[in-house]
Amino acid sequence: MLRYAARRIVATIPVMLIVALIVFSLLYLAPGDPAAIIAGDQATPADVERIRESLGLDRPYVVRFADWLWHVMQGDLGVSIFTNLPVTKMIAQRVQPTVSLMTTTLLLSLVIAIPMGVVAAWRQGRIVDRAAMVLAVLGFSVPVFVVGYLLAYIFALQLDWFPVEGYTPIQDGFWPWLSGLILPSVALGGIYVALIARITRASMLEVLSQDYIRTARAKGLSERPILFVHALKNAAVPIVTVVGLGFAALIGGAVVTESVFAIPGLGRLTVDAILRRDYPVIQGVVLLFSFVYVLVNLIVDLLYTVFDPRIRY
Amino acid sequence: MSATTDTPAVRPAHAAPALPAVLPEPRQRSRVGRFVVRHPTIVIGGALLLAMLFIAVAAPWLGTVDPTALAPAKRTRPPSAQYWFGTDMLGRDVYSRVMYGARVSLLVGFAVAALSSAIGLLIGLTAGFVRWADGLIMRCMDGLMSIPPILLAVALMALTRGSVQNVIMAITLAETPRVARLVRGLVLSLRDQPYVEAAIAAGTRLPRIAVRHILPNTTAPLTVQATYICASAMITEAILSFIGAGTPPTIPSWGNIMAEGRALWEVKPYIVFFPAVFLSITVLAVNLMGDGLRDALDPRLAKRL
Repeated sequence: MLRYAARRIVATIPVMLIVALIVFSLLYLAPGDPAAIIAGDQATPADVERIRESLGLDRPYVVRFADWLWHVMQGDLGVSIFTNLPVTKMIAQRVQPTVSLMTTTLLLSLVIAIPMGVVAAWRQGRIVDRAAMVLAVLGFSVPVFVVGYLLAYIFALQLDWFPVEGYTPIQDGFWPWLSGLILPSVALGGIYVALIARITRASMLEVLSQDYIRTARAKGLSERPILFVHALKNAAVPIVTVVGLGFAALIGGAVVTESVFAIPGLGRLTVDAILRRDYPVIQGVVLLFSFVYVLVNLIVDLLYTVFDPRIRY
Repeated sequence: MSATTDTPAVRPAHAAPALPAVLPEPRQRSRVGRFVVRHPTIVIGGALLLAMLFIAVAAPWLGTVDPTALAPAKRTRPPSAQYWFGTDMLGRDVYSRVMYGARVSLLVGFAVAALSSAIGLLIGLTAGFVRWADGLIMRCMDGLMSIPPILLAVALMALTRGSVQNVIMAITLAETPRVARLVRGLVLSLRDQPYVEAAIAAGTRLPRIAVRHILPNTTAPLTVQATYICASAMITEAILSFIGAGTPPTIPSWGNIMAEGRALWEVKPYIVFFPAVFLSITVLAVNLMGDGLRDALDPRLAKRL
C-alpha cells in the first residue's frame, strides 16, 4: 500500500510538470511586452531593452521556464501587473471564501446525491427513479448562474430567507457564514449532484444484482442495511472516482457562482484578473486550481483500497 | 457473471443482460412510430433542438428588429405587446437579441463538438497505433485534462481578443483531450479483437486497418461524446460571455444578454430570465439527445450510466 502510494505520488509529478509548462506558456504567449509596460510611454527603446535584460526576459524560453518553476516551487508566483502585490499574497487573501464554498457544496452534494442515487437504483424504473433521473438531466442542463439567479430571486429577494449576495467570514459567526453560503452551494452543487446521483444509481444497480445481496435478503436482513451497508460499500469505487473527476466542474462553477453572489473568493479574483489582463494572477490561480484538482484525484486513487480492500496494488 | 465475484474488478462484467437490447435494433429503425416509443428522449430533444435551429436560422423573420439598435428613451421597458421580452438598459429589444443569440450558442456548440471530435479522433488514433508516441501524447492530454476545462478556456480567452472563432478554439482545446482519451481506449481494446488480428495476419496495412476496422467502431461512442461536448460547449460559451471573456458585446449571445442584465437583475429580472430559459432549454435538448443516443447506440454503456 505504501509503495503504491509512493508510486502514485511520483506519477503525478510529470503531469504537474506538463500543467506547469502549459500555464507558463500562457504567460509567455500573452500579448503585450511586460518590459514596455513597466518602462512607460516616455522610455526609449534602449531603456526598454535594459529593463528587459534586468527582468531576464531576453533569455531563452527553457531557461525562463526553469527559473519560473524554481520560484513557483518556493511559493513565489510573481507580482500582479495591476496591483503590484505578490500573487501568492493576493491568492491567500481570497482562499477562505472559496474553500468555504467548495466544502459546503461538496458536503451538501454528497448528502443529497448519494441517497438519491441509492433510492433510484432500489426503485429502478419506478416514479422515484424517473423523477431522480429527470432532476439529474436538469442538473446537467441548467447552467450554474441560471440556478443561482433563480434561487437568489426566490429565496433572497422574495422570501428574504438568505442574504442576496456577499460573504461573511467564519470568524464573524457560524450561522451568518453558513446562511450566506447555502444558496451559492445549492446553485454550484446542481451539476455535481447530477453527476454523483447518476453514477451512484448505475453502480448500485450492478451491485444489487449480485449474489451476496440475494443472500443478505434471504437471511432476513432489512432493506436499509442491505442498501446502505452491503451494497453502497461495494458500489463506492466508481462513485469516489466521479466525485474526484467532477471536482473540475466544481472549480469551473465556483468562478461563476462567486460572480453571481458577489463572493470575494478566488473565482472573483480570476474574473477581475481576466478583465484587467493581469496575466501573473490568471497564471497563479489556474496553476493552484489545477494542482488542487490533481491532488483531489490522487487522494481518490488512494481511497480505492479503503473502500474496496480487494483492490491490491 | 460467476467470474465477477472473485475478481477484484472495479466494474463487474454484465454481458448477458445487454444482448436482447442489441439484437432487435436494426429492424426498428425503419419504423418511425416504434422509434418514438422506444427513444422518447431522442425525439423530444431532437424536436426542441430543431425548434432552436429554426429560431437561429429564421431570426430575421420572426418579428424581430435590429438586435443592436439602441433606443435610450425606451430603456428597461417591461415585457409588453410591442416588446415581448422587454428592453434592456440601452433600450435594445430583448426578444430580438434572444432570437439572434440562438445563432451564437448553436454555432459554438456544433463547431466545438465537430472540431474536438475530429482532432481528438486523430490524436486518439495516433496514440493508439503509434506506440512510441503514446506515452508522450497521453501525458500531454493528462496535463491538459488536469486544468479544469472552464478555467483553461478562460485563460486562453485572456490571451486573445474576444471573438466567436476564439471562443470556439479555446473551448475546443479544453474538450479535445477527453475525446482523444476515449478514442485511444477504444483503439487499444479493438486492436485485440479477432477480426483486427485477422486483418493484421492477412497483411493489411495499418492506415487501412484504422479506417476500415477501427474507425467504424468508434462512431457510436464518439457520437454520444460529441453530443455531451456540444452541451457543455454551449454552457461554457455562456459562462465566458457572462464573465466578460467570451463573445464580444457587439454580438448578441445569451451569455452577453445576461451579463448586461446582471446589474439590474434585482429590479428588472426579465432581462436575465429570457436568455436563461432559452439557454437551459437548448442545453437540455442536446443532453436529452445524448442520453437517448447513448441508450440506442451503446446499450452496455446505457446500463452503466
